[in-house]
Amino acid sequence: MSQERPLPVITEQNRGYWAAAARQELVMPHCTQCDKVFFPIAPVCPFCFAADPDWKKVSGRGRVSSFVIFQQAFFAFFKNRLPYAVVQVELDEGPRINANLFDLKPEEIRIGLPVEVTFEKVNDEITLPQFRPLVRGT
Amino acid sequence: MTWDPRSKAAIAGVGTSQFARDTGLTTTQMISNALRAALDDSGLAIGDIDGLYVNAGGDFDKMAEQLGMKVGYAMQFWTHGRMCAPTLQQAALSVAAGLATHIACVYSIDISERGGGFGGGRSHGHEEYREGGGTHGEMAHYGLTHPGSGAAMAWQKYRHRYGATQEQLGAVATTTREHASLNPLALMQHTYTLEDYLASRFVIEPLRLLDCAVVNDGAVCVIVTTAERARDLRKKPVYIAGMDGLHAGRDEFVFAPPGLGIWQQPESSVAARPSRVYERAGVARADIDGFYCLDSFSPLVIFALEEFGFCKPGEAAPWVAEGNTRLGGKLPVNTNGGHLSEGMLGGWAHQVEIVRQLRGECGRRQITDARVLQFAMGQGVSNIYSNEKL
Ligand SMILES: [Zn+2]
Repeated sequence: MSQERPLPVITEQNRGYWAAAARQELVMPHCTQCDKVFFPIAPVCPFCFAADPDWKKVSGRGRVSSFVIFQQAFFAFFKNRLPYAVVQVELDEGPRINANLFDLKPEEIRIGLPVEVTFEKVNDEITLPQFRPLVRGT
Repeated sequence: MTWDPRSKAAIAGVGTSQFARDTGLTTTQMISNALRAALDDSGLAIGDIDGLYVNAGGDFDKMAEQLGMKVGYAMQFWTHGRMCAPTLQQAALSVAAGLATHIACVYSIDISERGGGFGGGRSHGHEEYREGGGTHGEMAHYGLTHPGSGAAMAWQKYRHRYGATQEQLGAVATTTREHASLNPLALMQHTYTLEDYLASRFVIEPLRLLDCAVVNDGAVCVIVTTAERARDLRKKPVYIAGMDGLHAGRDEFVFAPPGLGIWQQPESSVAARPSRVYERAGVARADIDGFYCLDSFSPLVIFALEEFGFCKPGEAAPWVAEGNTRLGGKLPVNTNGGHLSEGMLGGWAHQVEIVRQLRGECGRRQITDARVLQFAMGQGVSNIYSNEKL
């Protein structure tokens, strides 16, 4: 098993997403025709097939819609993170994205938990959008 | 009036290689063993095979070359279990249309070569790096590195929504292994109690080790021919009575029923999308004598029972726990032991079991008077088989 952290491959299609994350911003593909935001990243709007979506900054807030807790590492890199949670977050703007949840013990995660985005810098190119419990009043 | 494919094609023969954790054989070697067994089963010779449909296990051209086949109609499908029923559907339509007469449909998996499992091995799971995530919802940079994570995500949501319990899920794991213990071909022969299940370690919580398929090597061959031709062959024909296709789009997630709200699925409380397979086969759901579904992870059985309308949303988990899916129950499910314990063969070993059940060859695990059996997977895909021309 490789010790390296698996990282996303940057393509012409997703470059804007990762560039925004490096600036500590969460963006979603956005349709310039029907104004919807969507995920995953796609060459056209999946709701109206309009081409050339742009990027729209989103609030970074949402709720945990489901989650899992890895108790076994299938990639060596994740071994010393065990147990770790992967959450599916439904953003306030609608799309669902996956990420890890920081600042909360895995056994305290619940569906419906309000969360906000935070950023984990991996290298100069890749910063991963992650989540933490929403701190009220901020 | 459109042309009706109902019962126009039949299964002429089935065969398998040995299923083992590590056979030490190549996929082509295993396929040659499965093909030989299927030919013996049907009474056909290698020279009679004029079609080769490969779901997984190698490239059709190299395979035909190595196996000494001379085929005039070859197809190569994507190497996932979801293509099992579609491969057979295309074979059925092809023989019915006269494009070929005897099509060998083959599948082989060599997990031992891949490093003992998905998500990181000798050749790491490249699917996790696909744009938008892997095909089972993987996303390796977040450590979402295993196909089971998609099923775990869906089960978490399901139990939150309906209050289903881990004990109810455990009933899938224990029932399936009870069935496997009656199947000499099955890799896992021992049975487990609910206590054993609850004591088994979490792999991807809320899924335990006993919620996951065995990983193994093996191959299956299914020979498809026309209904007319099948009647002249060695064994009693098993007709492909009805089919429904693989659905795709944002309403679908490989390991969740429609409406559950996993990944980009819209969340709704609407009952299972009605399947067209029963109408196409000319049967009612109540005519189904046994149900076979892809069960790489135990929640998938619960989801399939709801997706195909045997239970209302939220009701399949307690229904399974009541014992309805055991042999002798209202609807025996995966009498072969499924992926959970017979072996993970992309749904193909399920086809072998269906054929043997409909011929009455299953001994201690025989479903009494089995006449109509259904194979189904998530994303709506299903075949209905019968030993009578429906
Ligand atoms: Zn649009």
